[in-house]
Amino acid sequence: MVAGFAGTIMSMAKGKAKIYSVTQVNSLVKMVLENNLPSKFVVSGEISSFKKHSSGHCYFSLKDEGSVLPAVMWAGKFKKVKFTPEDGMAVIAKGFIDVYEPQGKYQFYVDKLEPAGVGALQLAFEQMKEKLKKEGLFEDKHKKPIPAYPMRIGILTSETGAAVRDIEDSIFSRWPCTKLFLYPVPVQGKGAAGKIALALRDINHRNRQLKLDLLIVGRGGGSLEDLWAFNEEVLARAIFESAIPIISAVGHEVDTTIADWVADRRASTPTKAGVSAVPDMAEVLEQLGHLQIRMTSSLQSMIELCKENLARILASSVFKRPLLLVHTKVQQVDEMQSRLTSAVSNLLAGAKEKLAKAYEQISRIEPHRLLSKHKVDLNNLTNRLTVRVKAITQKARVQLTAQENRLAAMNPKSVLNRGYSITTDKKTGKVIKTAADIEIGDVITTELAKEILIESQVKKK
Amino acid sequence: MEKSQKKDGAGNISFEQAIKALTQIVSKIETGEIALQDSLEQYEKGMALIKYCREVLSKAEKRIEKISASETKEQGTDEELF
Repeated sequence: MVAGFAGTIMSMAKGKAKIYSVTQVNSLVKMVLENNLPSKFVVSGEISSFKKHSSGHCYFSLKDEGSVLPAVMWAGKFKKVKFTPEDGMAVIAKGFIDVYEPQGKYQFYVDKLEPAGVGALQLAFEQMKEKLKKEGLFEDKHKKPIPAYPMRIGILTSETGAAVRDIEDSIFSRWPCTKLFLYPVPVQGKGAAGKIALALRDINHRNRQLKLDLLIVGRGGGSLEDLWAFNEEVLARAIFESAIPIISAVGHEVDTTIADWVADRRASTPTKAGVSAVPDMAEVLEQLGHLQIRMTSSLQSMIELCKENLARILASSVFKRPLLLVHTKVQQVDEMQSRLTSAVSNLLAGAKEKLAKAYEQISRIEPHRLLSKHKVDLNNLTNRLTVRVKAITQKARVQLTAQENRLAAMNPKSVLNRGYSITTDKKTGKVIKTAADIEIGDVITTELAKEILIESQVKKK
Repeated sequence: MEKSQKKDGAGNISFEQAIKALTQIVSKIETGEIALQDSLEQYEKGMALIKYCREVLSKAEKRIEKISASETKEQGTDEELF
């Protein structure tokens, strides 16, 4: 049947060219499709560019690596869907194909929609995020500070997109004194990530001349696949390596890309990136005015303080009565002098008094009187001693005479007085007691009383 | 602009450095940890910095330049786009 229909078209083309209206062509295609396609399809794919119209009807695409299929889901059908479809979500959709004649495109009319696990792109995103996170590319310690007053800002985005205008407007409305430098790069499609990465390296390499103090990398909103360049590793690494601080500004509020995680600061939209990149000139001017007031007033109060100090110093007695100090010293010296004088005279008076007292004590002793008394005492003692000695001598003498008499009585010669005599050998002088003591012829001596000696010669014995 | 900066005594410094220096000067004078003579010098310096900052801010030119890739050796040619 398909072949037959194709044949008629071919045959018509061969013959005189039949002129079709646009509507006729679309009706023809519609008819062919309706007649030749199964009335129901079950399609597996990833949701993309999902949009729910205020009418409740939903418009989106189903896609895989190679192809995109536009899809529609009417409000009545969509009410039965239990989950919120999001871009990148893998789904199983049931429905039919038909041609939407007003736009000349065929589309998939979805009756039933079910999630089919995580979509491939989403999965790739999560995997890349996890990998780079493990490497530490998202860590706060690598985040470079955004300059407070950037004067030369580089913008990496599409030259033709809306993002460049949004960024420019939001920056210039706040901070018109800065210079913007646009580095046009493709922001979607194959190779876009590599080109942005190259541009980042190129700018960093040349920044000694370019002198950019901040970069904004981004683009406007789009589907997950539109934003995909900002999820690629090559761009993430270039952002990480950049010495110039980078603000990322990709897509709309809800879109978060790998680039956002690596960038030094993330802005949810290009407009917000502009706001976040620069200060508000009015505020800065106000701040400057405020600083000026603070500086001036504090200097004034400092000068006032110094003046007061000076006045106080000048008002002090040193400057008022300069001689007072000298006079005070003179008075002190005078006082010292009188104290010294009186101290010395006191000392002298004390010494004198002591001397007088000593003299008095000495004179009270009267040595001459003491001497005569001692003399009398000595005489008395002498007399008493003489008398006593005489008495003792007398007594001793009497005793001695008595002893003498007794002794005299005991003298062997005393018997001589009573007529006895003592005979001695004249030669030897020995007392003759026996006849043996002498020999005839010996001369003997006879002692009589009163030491009368008679010599005789022995004649007989 | 560079020459006028030097004349002001603000020197060839960035806006950020100027604000930082200015803030330091103000707090130095405010805390009074500075001799009067020095504070007058600092005040003059501060005023010059304020003047410089205001000048920078007033030179709002709203310019966008396009950076061409490095193959074209001429960088920074003030090729205005907008």
